[in-house]
Parts: sequence; C-alpha cells; structure tokens
Amino acid sequence: MASTSNEAPAVPPSLSLPPSQFARLQPHAYLLAHLSPPAATNQPSIRANGREPLQFRTTSANCGSLTHTNGSAVVRIGDTAAVCGVRAELLHTDDIASWSVARTSSASTNKRQRLAELGEDVTEEDNEDEDDQDRAHIEDLSLLVPNLSLSTGCAPGYLPGAPPSTTAQSISHEILSLLHSSRLVKADDLRIWYQPPNLGPEDEQMDVDEGAGKKAETEEQKPREIKAYWVLYIDIMIISLAGNPFDAAWASVVAALRDTKLPNAWWDVDNETVLCSDDVSEAHKLTLRGLPVASSFCVFEADAAAGWRAKPIPNAQQQKKDGKGRWILADPDGYEDNLAHERVSIVVDKEKNGKTVILKMEKVGGWTIDTEDLRRLVDVSSKRWDEMKQIFDQC
Amino acid sequence: MLELPTIQDTMNDRRRINGPAEGTRPPVYASHLKSGGATDRAQRQREPTDLRKIFLKTGLIPSASGSSYLEFAPSSSLANARSNPKSLIPPSSALKLSCTVHGPKPLPRSAAFSPNLVLTTHVKYAPFAARKRKGHIRDASERDLGVHLETALRGAIIAERWPKSGIDLTITILEAEDDRWWADAPDLHDASWGMMNVLAGCITAASAAIADAHIDCLDLVSGGVAALVSDDSTEDSAAAPRLMLDADPAEHRSIMAACVVAYMPARDEITELWLKGESSKIALEKGDQRSAHEALIDGAVDAARGAHSVLSEAVRETMLRAVTPL
Repeated sequence: MASTSNEAPAVPPSLSLPPSQFARLQPHAYLLAHLSPPAATNQPSIRANGREPLQFRTTSANCGSLTHTNGSAVVRIGDTAAVCGVRAELLHTDDIASWSVARTSSASTNKRQRLAELGEDVTEEDNEDEDDQDRAHIEDLSLLVPNLSLSTGCAPGYLPGAPPSTTAQSISHEILSLLHSSRLVKADDLRIWYQPPNLGPEDEQMDVDEGAGKKAETEEQKPREIKAYWVLYIDIMIISLAGNPFDAAWASVVAALRDTKLPNAWWDVDNETVLCSDDVSEAHKLTLRGLPVASSFCVFEADAAAGWRAKPIPNAQQQKKDGKGRWILADPDGYEDNLAHERVSIVVDKEKNGKTVILKMEKVGGWTIDTEDLRRLVDVSSKRWDEMKQIFDQC
Repeated sequence: MLELPTIQDTMNDRRRINGPAEGTRPPVYASHLKSGGATDRAQRQREPTDLRKIFLKTGLIPSASGSSYLEFAPSSSLANARSNPKSLIPPSSALKLSCTVHGPKPLPRSAAFSPNLVLTTHVKYAPFAARKRKGHIRDASERDLGVHLETALRGAIIAERWPKSGIDLTITILEAEDDRWWADAPDLHDASWGMMNVLAGCITAASAAIADAHIDCLDLVSGGVAALVSDDSTEDSAAAPRLMLDADPAEHRSIMAACVVAYMPARDEITELWLKGESSKIALEKGDQRSAHEALIDGAVDAARGAHSVLSEAVRETMLRAVTPL
C-alpha cells in the first residue's frame, strides 16, 4: 500500500493503510473488495484468505495418539483444531431402575406399535426393524454422551473456567442429535450379553436314571439377557478456533469412533459384575453405519440490508437475481464467520453405489439461498465427502 | 480383595450432556483381579540423570496472542506398548498439553485499579486425560496447579510495564501423568506424584507461550522434577534411595519424596519450589553430605536446566518466524 516512487514524500501522505489494518477496521468492505474486484483489473473473485469461494481448507486427521482413551482423533481444518477422545464405561442393567419394566413392555409392544403406525408393513426387513430398536436403545439409555468444550483458551471470546457457552452447548446438542439420527453406532456393539447356564432346581438330587430323561429339557436354553451396556463418553476439546467449529468437531467424532476399540466383556457370576479382558486381540472395533461428513457454508452479502428496505435501490433487485450481490463461501474461517448471517450446514453420506444421502440439512439466518443453491451445495458436499473419505482412510 | 469401582456421581449439570442418570462404572479388567501384577512393571530405561525428550512448539493457535504445545516423549514401556499392542491397559502415559495466552488486554471495568499486569492462570484436564475420568468442572487439584503455576510465572514477568491490564493463561491437559504404576495399590508413600510432572510441563509450556505473546520477562522459566526413589523389591531399609531426574511415577515402585522447581538460569533464581514427601527422614548414600531436600532441589534445578535448553530453542524458532515472514 505504501507508495514506492521517489516523488512520494513531496505529496502529502495519503490516508492509506496496510491491508491487515484495513481488514480490521473495515472487514466487510475488505472482503467485498476481494470478492468483487474491479472489472478492469481482470482479477478473479477470490476470498481474503486466498481460497476460491467453494474451496475448503486443508484438512488433516490423526488417530489414536491419546493413551487413556478407547479411541481418539485430532482433526485440523485450517487453523481450527479439534481433539476428540472416546472413553467407554459400563452401565449395568441392574442399575437401571426401569430396566425390567422397559424390557418387557417397550421392546415388544413399542416395536409393534411402531410397526402398526407404519401401516401393515409388518413383513418389513429385519434390518430396518433392528435399526429402529437400536436408535430407541441408544437414545433412551443415553449411551452416547458427546460434550464439546470451547473453554480451552481456543479463542479470546470464551472464558476458561466458565460454564459452557451457548455455542458450545448448541454444538454438543447438534452432535448428539446427529449421532442419533444418523444411527452411526450400532447398539449391538454396546450390549454385553449373558447366557445363563441351565441349572435346573433339582439338579443336585438328579438321579442317574433320570439323567437321560432330563437331557431333552436341557436342550432348550434359557433366553440370553443383556447384563450391561457400554456408554461412550465422547469429549471434544476445540484446541484452536478459527471459524467453523462444527465441521471439525464432527469430523473428529467420526474419526475417533472409527478408532474406538472396546474390550471383550462378560458377566462374571461369582463377582456379580462385568469383567473385561485387556487382550488387544479380543477387543472389537465399532462397526459404524456409513461415514457422515459435515460441510458448512456461509453467505456473504454485499448489501445485507437490501432486502429489508421499503424502496429497493434500483439495480439491487437486479443484482440479486444475477447472484452478484452475494457469495456462498464454503468452510468459513473466523473472519468470514463474523461477517455472515446466513449459514447452511449439510451432512451427507455416500452409499456403496455412490449415491449421496443427505443426513442433515440446516439453513438459518437469511433468505438468499434457494432450492437451486441448496442442490448445488449438496453436490459440493458430496465432493467434500470424497476428500474426507481419503483423509479418514489414511489415519 | 475385590474392590469394585464406585459409581461416579452424576452431576446435575443442565448445560452439558450428562449421560445415563444411573451412573456408569469404569471397566474392571479380569487380569487385574487375578494377581497383583499381570504384566511386567514398567522399568526405567534411562540413566538417573537423563530426561525424557520434550517436544515444544509455539504459535500453533493463531487466535491467541501466544500459544504453545508441549509433549513428553513416551517412556520406553509406553513406546513398546504402542508399537506392539498387547494389552489395552497402557503401562504409563506421557504428558501432552496445550497452552494459550490472551492479552495483554484492558482489565474489565469492574476490576480494581492495578499498577501491574494481572496474571490469571487456568489449568484444566480434559475428561480423557487421566486413567480415571475427570469431571468437567475444575477440581481442587486443578485449582492447586493453577495457583502454583501463577506463582512460578509471576516472578519472571516484568509486570509493571503493563498497568491496568491483564493476561489470561489457559492450559488444557490432553494427557496427564500417572501417580503410580496402575496395578500398584496405594501405599504409604503414595501421593499425587504425577501432578508434579504436570506442573513442570505447565511451567515450561507457559513460559514459551508468554514469550510467543511478546511479554517482557526477566528470563525464561523452566520447570524440572527430581525424585528420591527406592526401587528395591524387598523393603530393605539399608539401601539408600536414589535420586532420579524427571521420574515417571509409573516406572518406580516407591517414590519417597519429590520436588518441582521453576527456575531461571540467567539469574540462578527459583521462582517456585514444591517439595512433597518426608525428605527429612531420608538418608542419602554414604559420602553424600547433602540433606535429602538439598539433593532434591539440586536435582530439580538440573532437570529445569535441561528443559531450558529445549525452551530456548523453541523460543528462538518463534523469533526467527517473526523476523522472517512466510
């Protein structure tokens, strides 16, 4: 910005500022100038951070570096870094007050009710049915406990030692509801079964003669029962915050769950408790349903108030139609996050045949994005899914 | 002999997701119940005067005015377990923490006038940092660490250059140190030894972050730990305890006393000294005229000097980065 020619000192010093200061004083104008360069200069429209409008920041992931976790991951998206650790603890069914009631009533009748609601489609696939039950179990017993912490000194706005901020609370809940709705974790992985041995009441005074006769009875086994559940405490620490915490947090949760290993556990009758084996070869990994990837976007408007004016400024309406007055920016950083009001968050997954499935779509804060745009953003998100898949597979 | 873990108190915290109301129990491993020691105890492979390698990097968090990340290299037992996993129970752990400095910034309007820089320190363990799950709210040991850290740093910062302003220093511990080997029952000499290693790491990392934030200091403060340990399997009182620098509590049978210092080499000054254990009753080896606590302090200062070399290298890198922009 500073003048370079030799005659410069003769001219009274102009009011020019270095770019970094201008960016702080006039953030909106600064970003706008980058996105809509004067036509004469022939420069491409580019963001202040040098990215294309729909370009994501470089992402890296690293798994399993924390010692005291069952699974852990660090995900860095640009300058936003999230550390996620999964800790598994046991929930004994004996401790659940409503367990015996819930098991007999809800498991059977509830399911039947639900099927009835769906119409006479009782001959549905078992798979679907199981999914439904999975979700109910995980949700009712709250077996997944995600918590996000922003009070790690990650940004100046969040006080350490204070209760979780509104942002932290809302992201925690978003992650929880997404874990439930995407049914990422299978309830079957979390169950600890017990097969009671068949010890008849008269076993002790059993005669040798009777032995043959009783054999037939011992064939029929007692039903298996669930003795305990694994509860996964999913704690996410945002170590560094530079915009878009949700994508980073969610990516770290998925990566950590992929890394999670649960020890082999069984009900020990003598001790009346659940024991685990510390043998790595006996431990099992979680089998996740799919690989949901979140991508967030924000909308930057040249003139945010345009829509609210009683008398539209000439050309403003026209501009809007051309889509010139606004830009959709993928993966906003901290600077852009503060300038945008409208946000879109899309979570997609891809099936084996390459079909994109939308798991969540959220749009808040404005009215400029229409269905056409959303369709385009879903395409962008599914491209992002491919990128993230590669990153996850490497870690 | 069977000791069941107690059900953790479920906090009635409406701002967080709390999990099952019935409470959960940490897993109990069968091998742990059968015999006292299922696997071999972690053994110290380093010389008594060798420190663990320290990884220290500054400026990783751009939104903070100063930041650093510190990591201890895993001890040999942990490194073995990582490369060749057999058991799900880690033999020991290695400190990992991140530190940020925000400020100097004006004090809030409500605060009283202060002619000096006001330093606020927060130390918080991540819930998954230790063998036992930590709560979300700071407990007494975390507050204790915060206070120790504050005294260690306050002596080094030239506070009168920033009247009416304050800095917030926050440390998040991602992985803490063990207090003893996991299979050992707490015994007579048991105390939270791991905390001392954590504090030493906090001091070194905080010093790097403060330098990264360009806050004037008298010198770089570094932390060091030394411990008097008796590793004899038989409780033979004749053998004198040995002095170990940077002792990993998981690698020793019994730690008699330990000491952590915050030390400024340029002025040969100690800003913080924390001694734990009954050092007055311990007799050192024959020929060593020092008292036990003198030996401990000397050892801790030596360890701090070692950490200082890493610290000054990290700060030098920071400065080079500032001078030569990307």
